[in-house]
Amino acid sequence: MKRNISKIELAVATIIALFLVVGFPLLNASGMVADYTINVWGKYLCYGLLAISVDLLWGYTGLLSLGQALFFSLGGYMLGMNLMLMIGQDGQYYKSGNNPNLLPDFMVFLGHTFLPSFWRPFYSFPFAVMMVVAIPGLLALIFGFFAFRSRIKGVYFSILTQALTYAAYIFLLQNDVTMGGNNGFTDFKRILGYNLREPATQRGLYIATAAVLVGVYAFSRWLTTTKFGLVQRAIRDSETRVLFSGYAAANYKLFIFVIASSVAALGGALYVPQVGIINPGELATDKSLEAVVWCAVGGRGTIIGPIIGAIFVNRLKSWATTSYPDYWLIILGVMFILIVLFLPKGIYGLVLQVWNFLFKPKLDPTRDIVAVPEAEPTPVPETVGTPSK
Amino acid sequence: MTSPSTLPTKPLRASLRLLAWAICSLLAVIPLRGADTARQTIAKAILEEDGDKKTALINSLVGQTDESIPVLLATWKADAIFLYKIDDDHKVPVTLLEGKDADDKQAAVRVDDGKPLVDQDGKPVRLVASDLDAAEHDSNLRATMKGVLDLLSLTDPNPDKRMQAIVTLGMSQETEKLPQLLKLQQTEKEGKVKRALSEAVALMQLKDENPEVQIAAAKALGEMGSIPSRDFLKQLIADSAGKPEVVKAAKVAEAAIASHLTTVNAIGTAFRGLSLGSILLVAALGLAITFGLMGVINMAHGELIAVGAYTTYVIQGLFATGVVMQIPTFFFQPITLRFSGMNLSGNKLDAYFLVALPMSFLVAALVGILLERCVIRFLYRRPLESLLATWGVSLVLQQMFRLTFGANNVQVYSPAYLSGNWTVFDVILGWNRVFVICFAIFIIIGTHLLLTKTPVGLLIRAVTQNRQMAACMGVKTQQVNMLTFAFGAGLAGLAGAFLSQIGNVGPSLGQDYIVNAFMTVVVGGVGNLLGTVISALGIGLIDQSLQQILLNPVLGKILVLVGIILFLQWRPAGIFVTKSRSLEG
Repeated sequence: MKRNISKIELAVATIIALFLVVGFPLLNASGMVADYTINVWGKYLCYGLLAISVDLLWGYTGLLSLGQALFFSLGGYMLGMNLMLMIGQDGQYYKSGNNPNLLPDFMVFLGHTFLPSFWRPFYSFPFAVMMVVAIPGLLALIFGFFAFRSRIKGVYFSILTQALTYAAYIFLLQNDVTMGGNNGFTDFKRILGYNLREPATQRGLYIATAAVLVGVYAFSRWLTTTKFGLVQRAIRDSETRVLFSGYAAANYKLFIFVIASSVAALGGALYVPQVGIINPGELATDKSLEAVVWCAVGGRGTIIGPIIGAIFVNRLKSWATTSYPDYWLIILGVMFILIVLFLPKGIYGLVLQVWNFLFKPKLDPTRDIVAVPEAEPTPVPETVGTPSK
Repeated sequence: MTSPSTLPTKPLRASLRLLAWAICSLLAVIPLRGADTARQTIAKAILEEDGDKKTALINSLVGQTDESIPVLLATWKADAIFLYKIDDDHKVPVTLLEGKDADDKQAAVRVDDGKPLVDQDGKPVRLVASDLDAAEHDSNLRATMKGVLDLLSLTDPNPDKRMQAIVTLGMSQETEKLPQLLKLQQTEKEGKVKRALSEAVALMQLKDENPEVQIAAAKALGEMGSIPSRDFLKQLIADSAGKPEVVKAAKVAEAAIASHLTTVNAIGTAFRGLSLGSILLVAALGLAITFGLMGVINMAHGELIAVGAYTTYVIQGLFATGVVMQIPTFFFQPITLRFSGMNLSGNKLDAYFLVALPMSFLVAALVGILLERCVIRFLYRRPLESLLATWGVSLVLQQMFRLTFGANNVQVYSPAYLSGNWTVFDVILGWNRVFVICFAIFIIIGTHLLLTKTPVGLLIRAVTQNRQMAACMGVKTQQVNMLTFAFGAGLAGLAGAFLSQIGNVGPSLGQDYIVNAFMTVVVGGVGNLLGTVISALGIGLIDQSLQQILLNPVLGKILVLVGIILFLQWRPAGIFVTKSRSLEG
């Protein structure tokens, strides 16, 4: 099978990756980039991970999941539990002498006197990191198993994932599940012993985020060029034909659903220490749809597109919410409508089309943008009559 | 020249004068002849020095119907009756009117006749409250007053107030008032008051010395299924350890009440479930039409509901005191529209809802047509994309509501005919809930008739079944799409008008209903109204029953959602599946 990754792409990707992981933090360390900026970009890159997870499902497999914010937040909650326990003696209630057992503050507030048993293992950072992937992955596995087994697809899948997210949302809002209720987790002090208020810690978190994003990008790019990736896209284009060809489409979908959910969860886990808060608001219906917007704006069916989309839309949001706070939602909504109607391949697709129009006018710009065109001849209608290989 | 008419008037005038004088003197005589008026009695009681006589005077008020009694007694208790000294021996109890002038002086009213206090020259006297002594009262007196007031309200002409007083008295178990109740029992005619009376009497008799009376009372309470008496019966069981007969009777009665309570709760749950189901149905029906019949996922459906609710709000404003809207004009100053209202009140204001119903349908349908022409028509057969684009529309609409009507909830006034309730067998049936059930039945039948009995319905069904074939037959499918979508949107608007009577009206109103509405449609099965009806009622009933059983609404909701996911395992396409030979369906 032909390799679809060209040398140019590899080179460009490496340069960008090096800049993100090494160059940008170096600029920050030397004082040329503000600490605030690096923090904001760390946030954007986390959103990039969430957008990739949407894209792996929607852009490549045709599964529009409206529940990716759930997995993102779950990842955040899992790491947040460790961060809450690490507050330790810096908590307000401990300082005022009301918290001898070093419980998270919200538990003292709710009148708990000892730590619920499922919180105990989260004293260990490695365990928390394991749970970041394991819990969302397990939830995706169970939900996906039921959903795909009964061949729930299309909008039904979207609505069901939305319902799942909604159920989790009202579940986490409750105080008696001891997950912080309405306020969630906040007021973190340190991660792995490092003070979260130090610029160096934030830089470290940024580097970790960038490295994970590059890793996920490379993995996803590789995955989509394998035979698995082909089957994935075949499912997107015509699931029935895939079934008739003897592939167990449900297993493929389940696999990618679990992978995508873990990617989202990683994003969430990196997001929480950087913004310093996680609460049920993060898994409101709108958040999942916003992630879909990033993906659509950047260009679905590519891996780089969602990252571009996440950064672009959030930059736009930062600007619009300060300059035109009343109109931000209208701008977002109209932009989204226009992109869905007229620009199904998003910004990246537009750029590619313009590029092809300018430099490769012979090529058909509507063909799948995942395949890099130069390696293949243009398909011509005359081939219908020729004997096939 | 004298007018001829003056002659006969002279004797007439004289006789009139005589009559007036007679009436005046009669009026003056009546109070003198009989007992004192209530006001006079109270004034006397205030001035009386002896405690026992004071109590007796107050007690003599029982049986009088003067409306000033409760007011005056309450004023007395609140230390707002003052003693005005005319001279060293004479004092007049007075109350002061609202409204102080610059010297803190207030107009005074005499307690004994309710007329303004005047000095010797007949000029009104104005007094300063802090210079005066308040009429005194001790705890004994206050208890007496309360007792009098309780008994007074027993004879209140308004049956509801009478019943309230009887219930309160029964719950207090003050056995010394029992004779009064028994006396009332013989004269009372109103059915529900009679019932309350016998309940109160039985409650009091539970405290009787005689075990047989207690047993009879317990039995009576059990037969009545009196829910509030349950705690008293339990108390009785605990108190009468030495009297096995009483304990037995009380236990039997308590069990009877418990089983009555279970029935009441079950009926109440069924009613709430039915009404929740109707709300879901009303909210989901429009969605079922656009999603089921047209294959379009309309995420802006919730906002179309909100359009209906806001239309109701505006119509109400036009009927009442007017309405203010800020029309956003992107990046310029918003235009402020002010409509002055008709300042109606009472029944005329209540009629606004009848105007709001068709208007909310029309406005939402217009918004629907706009939406269909501008966005949806590009997206038929692309359900996922329609979902996303309409979500964009929903964001825009929500923000428009926020800018036009403000980010907070707006107040929608419920007409009198929607804000009362019936109590049937201890089950409270809110009129708005009953109305929403009737309304759901009405629009289901209406929609069904429209789809099956009218030419438009025929066209809609034809396009739904096979768009190309319908087009080949000369059906203008574009127009039919527009009409269908407008109809679905209009139904959403109607739903909004109704939901404005039940919940809050705010920019995010639609978001509260959209997830549940989608669930209802998905469970019901695409393209089938009957499925939607069954699923809405089923979800409503199950939700309310789980709430009743688990006593935890959130857990109940989560279980319902999980249940729906599992249900779709069993029937992936909902309750009713539209049979199709198409693979991709």
